[in-house]
Amino acid sequence: MLQVRKNRLWKLITILFLSAGGISLILFSLNSKLDLFYTPSEMLQADIKSGYRIKLGGMVKNGSIKRDGTIIRFLVTDFIKEVPVTFEGVPPDLFKEDSGVVILGYFLNGMFEAEEIFAKHDENYMPPELAIDEAKV
Amino acid sequence: MIGEIAHFLSLSAVLLLSLVLIFNLAFFFTKIHPNQLILSMRLFNQACWLVFISFGIYVYLAISDDFSIAYIASHSNSQLPIFYKVTSIWSAHEGSMFLWIVFLTAWSILFINSLDKSHPLKKLTLLMLSVIILGFLLFLLLTSNPFERIMPFGALEGADINPVLQDPALAIHPPMLYLGYVGFVISFSFITAYLLNGDFELKWEQDIRNWSFVAWIFLTIGITLGSWWAYYELGWGGYWFWDPVENVALMPWLAATAFMHSLFAASKSNVLKTWTMFLGILIFALSLFGAFIVRSGIIDSVHSFANDPERGLYLLSFSGLITLLALTIFAYRLPALNSSKLVVTGSKESFLSMNNILMITSIFSIFLGVTYPLIIESISGEKVSIGPPYYNTIFAPLILIAAAFIMISVDALWQRSMPLKALLITIFAPTMLSLLSLYLIWQVTNIFSILAYIGIFSGSLILCSYLTRTINNFFNKKFINKGSAIAHIGLGLLFFAVSMNSILSYEKNLNLAPGQSISINDSVREFSFNDIRVFKASNHDVISAQVSLLQDGREISLNPQKRKYATRGQITSESAIHASVLKDTYLTIGDQLDNGTWTFSLKINYFIKWIWFSAALMVLGMLLTIFKKKAS
Repeated sequence: MLQVRKNRLWKLITILFLSAGGISLILFSLNSKLDLFYTPSEMLQADIKSGYRIKLGGMVKNGSIKRDGTIIRFLVTDFIKEVPVTFEGVPPDLFKEDSGVVILGYFLNGMFEAEEIFAKHDENYMPPELAIDEAKV
Repeated sequence: MIGEIAHFLSLSAVLLLSLVLIFNLAFFFTKIHPNQLILSMRLFNQACWLVFISFGIYVYLAISDDFSIAYIASHSNSQLPIFYKVTSIWSAHEGSMFLWIVFLTAWSILFINSLDKSHPLKKLTLLMLSVIILGFLLFLLLTSNPFERIMPFGALEGADINPVLQDPALAIHPPMLYLGYVGFVISFSFITAYLLNGDFELKWEQDIRNWSFVAWIFLTIGITLGSWWAYYELGWGGYWFWDPVENVALMPWLAATAFMHSLFAASKSNVLKTWTMFLGILIFALSLFGAFIVRSGIIDSVHSFANDPERGLYLLSFSGLITLLALTIFAYRLPALNSSKLVVTGSKESFLSMNNILMITSIFSIFLGVTYPLIIESISGEKVSIGPPYYNTIFAPLILIAAAFIMISVDALWQRSMPLKALLITIFAPTMLSLLSLYLIWQVTNIFSILAYIGIFSGSLILCSYLTRTINNFFNKKFINKGSAIAHIGLGLLFFAVSMNSILSYEKNLNLAPGQSISINDSVREFSFNDIRVFKASNHDVISAQVSLLQDGREISLNPQKRKYATRGQITSESAIHASVLKDTYLTIGDQLDNGTWTFSLKINYFIKWIWFSAALMVLGMLLTIFKKKAS
């Protein structure tokens, strides 16, 4: 083989190896850093490993918010099932009863421990799944 | 009636642009005939002015409270100050798209008229620009018409702007960002025109250099303002959330940064020319991708506009079409482009190429992070989201490698290899100093986090290499590129500040009754909740807490507020911030409990102002670069 071609081949192999390595690193990183999104019914059915961070989306059940010092307890519902949630801290302004929330946290022994609560800029926001469900009803 | 005039004017702009297009296409294969170019230029300029006047009238309509126009009725209010009546125009989809187009038109008209009459690329650039403006004007008028009337009777009062958007930073943030996004239409059209034209002896770098640099400045300011606003007005307490919408702004920024760097290499040493062209096309393509992600509502994000598949489909097909067009021309011309492939190992351009590869890798990783949830959802139906941990893991090694190359390239020369000895001398002092600073930080804070330490190390590598270089130059009376040095010091500071912020900042949730005071830690000895007051302001009710802190031996008073707005009944929090050189004391008030006590969230954010300061340094560095070149 010509020297030039040989060099080119080596270059190609190196590039292939490097990019394969890079992409597998990225994919590896992706897989362990995903947050799966559930509605309350889906979450109660799914088998979630403890210590696995997930996102829970639904509505804050009317009359369910209880405050205890800096801890807030409430129920998140999809109008079929509901999940009890605890959160420590000051929730966002748009967090209120009867409106949509997305919560990031851990599900442990039937209780959802929230790390972060997201409420939208838009006060009419509802998680897309629920909007679909409600339209069906 | 006035609304119809504005509507009619923008429709006429569409007509004129179509004429320019037909005109140019008809003469595409013929040689430039002077009159033809003059005529299409005249039509193009008139079309642009129609768009401006139409927008001007729209601004007038917003100021004069014309609530028969649906968009104004649902986003403005007669009680608003005039300033916010104007900014309410870009507080939602239709109006902000209009502004986007106005900026697109403004950049285009300025650029095309700055080109010399006999410039060989003028006709083709004009063609590209008209296609793009026309496509977006049609998008605006067909799928998101801001002029739509409420029939048969208009609203008596507007629904008001969302209170969190009533803020000076937010009023300027979208315009800056859009100016940045659409500014790259110039590099996009000009490079496409160059490739179409096929005369590769022509120099093109200088013509679009400063235009791209200015667009980069706007983009940087836009992103920084958005981050600042989220921090102090939204009460999120953070500066960057790796939200999909933030990511789609970061991608063009990274591409633009890579573009500027390789533009230097291309103009200094004739390498990377093809690559630079590719980047020039990529930036605008990524901007368009961003517009699609934000405006189609395909990805669930705090920023997303209302979900509308029709808009998404139009944007995706139009953006896809022009990107595909540009890339096809690029691929077709690729074999003919004679870029020197001889990059000397160890020369400045070789390090620039390496950093370019890193930036493309970051863009690719972000792109993957943004689109992966979509792919997963369409394959398995599972809903996933990708948060900060993914991006932190990806970026830590990239930043380290980038910092290492920046450090080495400080002393590297164009087209000449660097002797091993010189290389070792260059890297010795910064590496030692950075290791020392890591050790000191570890001793002082007693915190160890591998990702943060990589960030701190990378940041100090860059800072120290510029520092030692400056000192060295001072004694040897040598020349240093000031613009580049300041911008890179900004970058080093950014890495440093972000990492320090992540390890040092903390948050305390408190529950106190008025008159009560508690001790928090050695730094905040006393937190006293003195009083709470309720009063009325112009269009909202205010609950204001009087809190005083004894922090690091100094007394600080903070007044966090909660506001309830009359028209929408919406509640917003106004965090109180006390800033010192190293840290921000950030206090938000929560709710009142049944027993009369209140909750507070106290955040101590270290180095957070340094993050925005570093962005300011990058902008300053860029400005120096632009003006230095203009002078010579």
